[in-house]
Amino acid sequence: MAGEIESVDELDADEQEALETLLFSLADDEFVFAERYTEWQVRSPTLESDLALSNNAQDELGHARLWYDVLEDFGHEEHELVYERDPENWRHSTLVEQEFLEGDWADAILRHYLYDVAEEIRLEALEGSSYAKIAGRVEKIQDEERYHREHAESWMERLADGEGLERLQEAVDRLFPHAMTLFEPCAPVPSAEEASDDEPRAAEDVEETVVEAGFRTESLEELREEWVDTVCPYLEGLGLETPAVERVHFDEYEYEVEADVVADERGRDGSHTDAWDDLHAEFTSTYRELGRSQATKIMEKPQ
Amino acid sequence: MSSETPDTDATPCAYTDYNEGEAVEELPATGEDATGVEADVWETLYDIEDPEMPVSIVDLGLIYGVEVDDGVARVDMTLTYSGCPARDMLQGQIEEAIEAVDGVDDVELALVWSPAWSIELVTERGKSDLREFGLSI
Repeated sequence: MAGEIESVDELDADEQEALETLLFSLADDEFVFAERYTEWQVRSPTLESDLALSNNAQDELGHARLWYDVLEDFGHEEHELVYERDPENWRHSTLVEQEFLEGDWADAILRHYLYDVAEEIRLEALEGSSYAKIAGRVEKIQDEERYHREHAESWMERLADGEGLERLQEAVDRLFPHAMTLFEPCAPVPSAEEASDDEPRAAEDVEETVVEAGFRTESLEELREEWVDTVCPYLEGLGLETPAVERVHFDEYEYEVEADVVADERGRDGSHTDAWDDLHAEFTSTYRELGRSQATKIMEKPQ
Repeated sequence: MSSETPDTDATPCAYTDYNEGEAVEELPATGEDATGVEADVWETLYDIEDPEMPVSIVDLGLIYGVEVDDGVARVDMTLTYSGCPARDMLQGQIEEAIEAVDGVDDVELALVWSPAWSIELVTERGKSDLREFGLSI
């Protein structure tokens, strides 16, 4: 039943680990994508698209915050999670950490499209989450995400209708393997207090618990199939080639992507591309340089 | 399509209005039946305005519930937007105001997101304040 679990105290150790791991993957995807989106601020091709991507960034930061809030149930604090966590303990997909090639608007739009289809599918599988705070946040996020995919698709179609098609194809070739990591099982983040002989469980086992405990009502494999069956025919319809193989299955076309298409760095297992080190160093630099141990409020309480 | 051809299929931006939400029973909460310290807490909340618009946070429908038990005030509230940049500021302001209410020793302010805020949660007075501010709702 959706939302029947109100507190982490109702969960055993494996379930707690699975819930925490799921939340890390959700929050980190949103936060890191927002960081990348902000690079287009004042650089987008039109003022309207500048506002749109800035707005996406603000939406994703808000959603990251909703998930980091839930991680506070495990004793974490937002500033520690964002500014003090070691880069290898971040669990976002490598899709969202990639650098934009200079001025490559097609990359930004394709990434926006691939991610937002995945997010739509993932949120549907969280609507009935057994953990109340997850189930209770989904509607808010869906309300705010509703126009993301529409925006991405309108730009995809505009770019594909002309010389942008080639740039889109290059972006598909570059980003598709990273997008596949959105559906890789997520390894738990080792906690500082954990005894060293207490090995965290394998990502696959943790993913199994995520589904068994009903934190997410569909497996990553099911989410990936739905995503592949959505994005591949769409991209091909625009005249783009994808790494998917089309098969006829009971009179229906199905798309399959071979396992070796997935990027070597998975993100979800803590392995990241070099782009992540640079991005992480950049967004934590002010915090480190000022020797902070907490995030400041914008104004002190008046006495 | 060539760049000289005006785009005759253009349509106006569809996102100029708030989406209408579903009415939720028991909301908006306004504290009209509250008594004692709880009524004082509601009164204090009425005096706090949204950071962007001249409307009380109660009339805007942000407050989902107030309970005072043994000097501890528990307030459930939401925000119109998850990416609200004034979240900490507004919460700080609310906590401070409630702490100053006679009979309140401690405040537990909880952010809740379900049901999601929508225009349906704005009270009639809130709607009138927003219209005066220039919003068409």
